[in-house]
Amino acid sequence: MYEVRDDEPGYAFVPDVKTPEVNQWGRAIETTQAAELRGQSLTINGDEAVSENPNRYKQHGFHFTADNCIGCHACEAACSEKNDLPAHISFRSVGYLEGGTYPAYKRLNISMACNHCDNPVCLKGCPTRAYTKFAEYGAVLQDPDICFGCGYCTWVCPYNAPQLDPVKGEVSKCNMCVDRLEVGLKPACASACLGGALDFGIIESKPENREQAKLRIPGFPTPEITNPNIRFQQTRSLPRELTRIDTQPIKYQRDEQGLGEYKVKPISADSNKAWSLRNLRSREDPLVLFTLISQLVVGGFTAIFALPLFGVDSLSASSNPTTFAITLLCMMLMQSFALAISTMHLGKPHRFYRAFNNIKYSPVSREVASLAVFFSLFMTYLANHFFGSLLWSMQTSQTLGLALGSLSVFTGLIFIYAMHKIYRIEARPYWNHWQVLTSFFGSVLSLGGLFVGAIFSLSLYLQGENNGALLSLLAWPVFIGLLMESAGIYFHKRDMNKAEGEGLAALNVQHSQFGLSHRFRNISFIVAMTGFITLANVELTSGLTFVFWCGLSALVVAASTIGRAMFYVMVIPTTMPGAFFWRNEGFQTHARESGLAAMPQTGVLPKTDYHHEQLQRAKDDIRNELTTLRQKGLFKFLKLRWQKRFKSVVSQA
Amino acid sequence: MLFGRAQKNPINLPGKDAEVVKWEYTTCGYCSTGCSIEVGVNSEGQGVRARGVGGADVNRGKLCLKGIFEHELFTSAGRGEQPLMREKTFDAYEPVSWDEALDKTAAEIKRIQEKYGRDSFAIVSTGQILTEEFYTLGKLARGVIGTNNYDGNTTLCMASAVSGYKRSFGSDGPPGCYDDFEHTDCLIAFGSNLPEQHPVIYWRLRQALEKRKFPIIVVDPRVTMFAQYADMHLPVTPGTDVVLLNSLAHVILDEGLEDTTYIHSNTSGYDEFAKLVAQYDPVVTQKICGIDEDTIRNVARLYAKSNQAMSIWTMGINQSTHGSDGVVAINNLNLITGNIGKKGGTSLSITGQCNAMGTREWSSCSGLPGYRALEKEKDRVDIAKFWGIDPEFFPKQRGLFQTDIFPAIETGQIKGLWLIATNPMTSMPNTARIRKTFEKLEFCVVQDAYQDVETTEYAHVYFPAGLWAEKEGCMTNTERRVNFISNVLKPHANSKPDLWIFNEMAKRFDQGKKIKFPDSAKEVFDEMRELSKGRFLDISGMTHEKIKASRGIQWPMSDGADSGSARLYEDGKFQHADGKAKLIPLNFIDNNEKPDEEYPFWLNSGRVVEHFHTRTRTGKIGNLNKFSPTPYMEMNPDAAQELGVEHMSYVRLVSRRGDAVVLVQLTQRVPRNMVFIPFHFHECVNRLSLGLLDPYSRQPAFKQCSVRIENVSQQEAAAVVNKAARAF
Repeated sequence: MYEVRDDEPGYAFVPDVKTPEVNQWGRAIETTQAAELRGQSLTINGDEAVSENPNRYKQHGFHFTADNCIGCHACEAACSEKNDLPAHISFRSVGYLEGGTYPAYKRLNISMACNHCDNPVCLKGCPTRAYTKFAEYGAVLQDPDICFGCGYCTWVCPYNAPQLDPVKGEVSKCNMCVDRLEVGLKPACASACLGGALDFGIIESKPENREQAKLRIPGFPTPEITNPNIRFQQTRSLPRELTRIDTQPIKYQRDEQGLGEYKVKPISADSNKAWSLRNLRSREDPLVLFTLISQLVVGGFTAIFALPLFGVDSLSASSNPTTFAITLLCMMLMQSFALAISTMHLGKPHRFYRAFNNIKYSPVSREVASLAVFFSLFMTYLANHFFGSLLWSMQTSQTLGLALGSLSVFTGLIFIYAMHKIYRIEARPYWNHWQVLTSFFGSVLSLGGLFVGAIFSLSLYLQGENNGALLSLLAWPVFIGLLMESAGIYFHKRDMNKAEGEGLAALNVQHSQFGLSHRFRNISFIVAMTGFITLANVELTSGLTFVFWCGLSALVVAASTIGRAMFYVMVIPTTMPGAFFWRNEGFQTHARESGLAAMPQTGVLPKTDYHHEQLQRAKDDIRNELTTLRQKGLFKFLKLRWQKRFKSVVSQA
Repeated sequence: MLFGRAQKNPINLPGKDAEVVKWEYTTCGYCSTGCSIEVGVNSEGQGVRARGVGGADVNRGKLCLKGIFEHELFTSAGRGEQPLMREKTFDAYEPVSWDEALDKTAAEIKRIQEKYGRDSFAIVSTGQILTEEFYTLGKLARGVIGTNNYDGNTTLCMASAVSGYKRSFGSDGPPGCYDDFEHTDCLIAFGSNLPEQHPVIYWRLRQALEKRKFPIIVVDPRVTMFAQYADMHLPVTPGTDVVLLNSLAHVILDEGLEDTTYIHSNTSGYDEFAKLVAQYDPVVTQKICGIDEDTIRNVARLYAKSNQAMSIWTMGINQSTHGSDGVVAINNLNLITGNIGKKGGTSLSITGQCNAMGTREWSSCSGLPGYRALEKEKDRVDIAKFWGIDPEFFPKQRGLFQTDIFPAIETGQIKGLWLIATNPMTSMPNTARIRKTFEKLEFCVVQDAYQDVETTEYAHVYFPAGLWAEKEGCMTNTERRVNFISNVLKPHANSKPDLWIFNEMAKRFDQGKKIKFPDSAKEVFDEMRELSKGRFLDISGMTHEKIKASRGIQWPMSDGADSGSARLYEDGKFQHADGKAKLIPLNFIDNNEKPDEEYPFWLNSGRVVEHFHTRTRTGKIGNLNKFSPTPYMEMNPDAAQELGVEHMSYVRLVSRRGDAVVLVQLTQRVPRNMVFIPFHFHECVNRLSLGLLDPYSRQPAFKQCSVRIENVSQQEAAAVVNKAARAF
């Protein structure tokens, strides 16, 4: 048990107070009625002792008096010291908003860590089930030993609580100092507060001398998303407009009358349009390729499998066996490549198999699962296509092919739908729009059509046959795909404008910093649509059609790639304000470019990706496991692993 | 609700709790708040954790972020590991033995003194080492080496407070304590930003405010956190504190709100004082100090009518061209309202360095140990007798102040210098001039825990010293609390405690062999106890054990007393010959370099919470340094718009001394005609600062000079310039 000192000051203890039955969301504060969940040891660092904290099964949470925070960083420091965190990681951070005019200037400091939410979106999003919401204190704990470093929890959390460490390739986060809670002590941060701002207790209880337990303050994202376990007091008047000191282009404004809640507004956009092509590169580059390629493959396969069934004979395996086979092989290679880079994108690629752990909740798990099913079926289809006739009769092979192909198309479309669900994140308003769906299925149609069209028309051309009819036909799905995506872009813009907030701020970035890239994408789409609708209606000579097709295809591929890259880099999450240096993306970029980040005490990692280190660690991990396996034998090895993971097993009621 | 999995996994929490085998008591070595810290030591004897001592009265379990990470100092980068030596400053350093380094230094001191006279070798010390070490250094400097040019870097921070206390009360010594927050009815803070400079003292104030609300008035030209949370913020024009304070006194006397009984029985000089403040009618002064007449009257009435009212101040007052006058003016305000020596009524300087008080009390910098003066024959004789030397060895008048020692090097009166735990290359105003000054030295020895302290650039010998809890002894905090530093770890590599270095140096002088230099801090403390008997700063009732057990004791505590004293002057008896405090009339002298057409901005400087002084310590600890890893400047967005300056871009600042490149943070925290730069960074604010000296305290006015701002078109080049100055 955590050591309670003889002279432990009174303020460090969580007060034992009466609280209402339910919280402000109408949820019970008592975390469980199930007897079998009670009285268990949390087995913290191997300690089997059971706490006698009388309020152990009540939801606990933070209380933050925003009126009082002085931004002294004591809470952050106490947290980082206790958890032995390196400078570039912090479970708790203080950022601030400011407003007014000298000397009527106000700064609003906000200290924020994990809010151990009633609706833990991190837990639901995590594909590996590294998260658990415990009955004890309602703490949401994350186990870095399970995590494989996909970083999806950092996307869905509105408070920047999960911390992805690119060096270790894993996420870690605030653990509510459950070891301290077990002996009745407040978490280290709340015990360290010097401003009379950060406090801790059973949720909905107000600390001494505090009058409010509000759900919102300016700068704090809407609590509707996760129902966070933090309450606020904020009674001092603030200026009508509050700005951020970091480089996120958003500010917070009260309505015209100066009443009501603060709303997120974009900072008036810079009207200069730029390309910013270099800034299109990011940590998510593999995902740009992964999504585009997967969509191409699903679209392409659907085309060559389904269209012949509806009488488009030139695409069929029987009329163009070599081209059909090449197309299949190309798609296989591309999809394998996409799979590989998306796996390598993980902090711990060798733990890829954990992606299926959370099918019940995680869109990532579901995407990976549907990808796995699709890819297996697709590969089986391929196997049957090439080797079926050797294994069984032609008839069986054909029937099997029809079944496998249909299932591949079906699961492929489910896979693309599941992929789109990943991005429907409430904390990322710019993404959370049906435009993702039209974009993804638009690419299925356009890229799939383009790819199949290019290969088959080249083949027909080389065979001296007319490819005009095929391309006229394939021009339709491409056109429709582009039209879908364009419509999505149009309505997305309209809706972001209406909704304002972070979505509009991101849209402004799209129209300014990436204005020319954006314009290039849109014009390309219009040009390509015009081209494809022409192709659909006018038959040109074979060679010219092919050249025309390829030219337009190149344009669409370039535009789609730029568009997808913009999708990833421009998103502005609904997250906590940063400070001038710490938690300021603008400074982090500057520190990397200027070389300041080379000093570890700058708190900014000098690189954005640590693939080499991660691969090395993966190799080491695997080698270690193999050594253990060799030394202990299979049975003992599995027993050891089992014990490590499920040492104290309790079953849920 | 066990959500996310059917089975409960064991929990693995990160951290080094399990490693700790014992907790060692010590006191924080950063600022003067004087927080008690326990360092968690692991089985290998390394300091792995730190926590505030729950039962210590000062901090009651709390620490600021610097204290929280103080255990990381033991292994921080840039520590000195071995004495270094070189013939010329352009040679490379060679590691040498302690004997070689000490012999060479002693020989150079003797050579310079023989050739140019005793005072041609100067010693500049610090507020960072332990009181026993200060006393020993004083003995060495005054009694053995015998230079009169011996002073501390405390001239840069608290000299004006010392000088003001001496002028008003006849002695140094802050009369109040933190407990006064619990009793006061009104608090004015002059140029003090507790939340960002002394967060634990601020927490004590907040605790008092949670129990009982009383008005807080903050006088500061910048909207600091403290200013923002004050009930009244007076954004005073830089350098006009004396005008504001005289006006407050004017209103109090004019409206008959003064404490006549107190003035009559405990002060002298009332008539002249009254005559002078009569000239400071707020109708006139509001135009000078920038605070409107109504506000001045309101504050004066509030303060005077409170049963107990207290004033605190820090560098906003001290680092002014007339900082000493500012302190005297604050004392005047408290004397005429009877707010000295009573619970909740005091005039309390909030000190900067952890042991600035220790150096003031015992280092002999400004005289002789135990608040004794060179100018007093009895003091000279007493100390000479106690040390066993000829009283005639002592000069009869104090020599140069620290800020006068450097100009004397510049012009050749001083040829050799010994620096102890101070970094003038970053801390002194006008860096270009300081560089030029150091080039003139025939011999310079730097004694510091950090080998990368910038001043080693100009040194011939470097002594690696132990830091903080690598040594044992006492420190005195802002409220005169003597607290104990335990020797938690042995000094890093081949570094040595400062006490050992001083003792070894003494052995190399003939006179040093005549005087006793005890080896242990405890024996040194016994000498100090003996010398303090019956004096104002009596510590004869204290022992190291008692201090540790009580988590610090406030002096005076005479032999046999049960406890220390929370306050001074409770009996109304002051240290001037007549036993009265002086009310001193203060004329406003306006000699600041003020903004003009060519240099239109005030340049203000100050501390940030995550850093301490010249960052030799905090700049190495990532979890502190990351909050401001590189210098920045606060600038008003309206002024920036006029000049086309953007947020997060570099600008070039130019003053009459030089230029500096700095990153801009736009904020309405500062007025349109002012910029603010944290003072911690090498090659930044002090390339620009003027630092006019206060006539009494010789403290530089860091906070008032003027600059112009130039746009930098080559942002990348500016980033390179900034990066080049950052070794850490």
